[in-house]
Amino acid sequence: MVFWKRTLPVAITFMLGITFMLQYYVPHPASEALLREVSVWNQIIAGFAVILGVASLLQSHAQKIKRKAPGWGYSVVMYASMCSMLGFGIWSEGKGEGTAFGWLYTYTLVPLQATMFSLLAFFVASAAYRAFRARSPQATVLLLAAVLVMWGRVPLGEYLLPGIGQVSDWIMNIPNTAAQRGILIGISLGAIATSIKIICGIERAHLGGGQE
Amino acid sequence: MHDLARRLLGLDRRWIFLVIAFGTVLPLLYPLGLPIRVSPEVRKIYDYIERLPPGGVLVLSFDFEPAGKPELFPMAVALLHHAFQNNLKIVGVTLWPAGTGLAESILSQVAQEHGKVRGIDYTFLGYAPGEANAVISMGQDLSAAFPADHYGTKITDLPILQGIRSLRDVHYVISLSVGFPGIDTWYVYGKEKYGFELGGGCTAVSAPRFYPLLNTGQINGLIGGLRGAAEYEVLLAREGKAIAGMDAQSTTHFLIIVLLALCNFFSVFTRQTGRTRYR
Repeated sequence: MVFWKRTLPVAITFMLGITFMLQYYVPHPASEALLREVSVWNQIIAGFAVILGVASLLQSHAQKIKRKAPGWGYSVVMYASMCSMLGFGIWSEGKGEGTAFGWLYTYTLVPLQATMFSLLAFFVASAAYRAFRARSPQATVLLLAAVLVMWGRVPLGEYLLPGIGQVSDWIMNIPNTAAQRGILIGISLGAIATSIKIICGIERAHLGGGQE
Repeated sequence: MHDLARRLLGLDRRWIFLVIAFGTVLPLLYPLGLPIRVSPEVRKIYDYIERLPPGGVLVLSFDFEPAGKPELFPMAVALLHHAFQNNLKIVGVTLWPAGTGLAESILSQVAQEHGKVRGIDYTFLGYAPGEANAVISMGQDLSAAFPADHYGTKITDLPILQGIRSLRDVHYVISLSVGFPGIDTWYVYGKEKYGFELGGGCTAVSAPRFYPLLNTGQINGLIGGLRGAAEYEVLLAREGKAIAGMDAQSTTHFLIIVLLALCNFFSVFTRQTGRTRYR
């Protein structure tokens, strides 16, 4: 059992991990053909992962409805929405133009999602009023940078104070880039370290934490 | 006064929502029409498209779903107008499943305005699952990633894709991204290996993340948020939804600045008067 659940997946991961790490540096036609083949496999696996995700979501909400867990009404709404979209989608063979599926997409999903995102302005304003205070020197610097960028990124700001746009651009191009680059390097090093751990079988969380 | 300041600090958030709502709606009804300065990062994308030869292939990746519509829709429309004006061939794709319908409708609407023919001047390949794998797959062999376009035509039969076997053969790729997968995916798994030029468009909230890529030339330009889209409309001299929305964004930014000033003033005031009281 351990062989199938642990040893074999770790061996496959090691073999493929090393192969494709080296493949990047080998532009030979055979190596490129291998990548072409495997990238198609990966796309097929990703397609199945979507199905698995949908099934898992439906299963978890079905449990909520069954147990009448707090907020189970939302699960019913989710079920109804997903099943109707899925049903109409299959019925109209995925075509959007002139179908019920297209109508549902254009007149429910698009405005609902756009509204959710647009609400961000209201919540940002409210949260800023409650929490964005100059309590420490660091918080003061952050607050000043935020005000300058907000001021300089809109036409009214540049109209009232010519030149503020360049100040805003400087903040974005120099201090922001320096901070973002630091974060990016940190993330990249972390990703490399994790990848090596997974390839070498040191990190096995992705195999599941069940009993052996 | 101390109590009033304390009460104002705990102001019901619905009042703030109301202020922001007025700040958004009023400028939409009564536009200010303030001039918009074009930033270098937006101009770079515009200039690059200007330099592309007529008939050049532009891959426009609509990496967003309807949540990103308020900012990325005007951006996509402006870019498509520019590309069609310059007689470029457009290949639309998306890495976001929920973005498929939106992307297709934007592309076909703008194409129709310019009298472009599907399959010859433009096509929409649709959604490819697998995020990074989809990009790698397109880089290796476009017909393996998309055997047929969104409308069911085999891509080997499409006149627009004659001579285009993979991403190595396209002139320019622009990813309009609301998150991941998006610009990063196209850069890390696409541009780096297949050597095409890459530009990006994103929501304002995610724009700061892409400045390191911009400064190193990993992307050759960046259209950030509604402001970026408005700048592009200014360059095209074609007023669209982005320019119309900039006045609302101006007032909203200023209202947030005023709210920040007030809350900090009240906060400092209550701290100081509190100390005096207990002295």
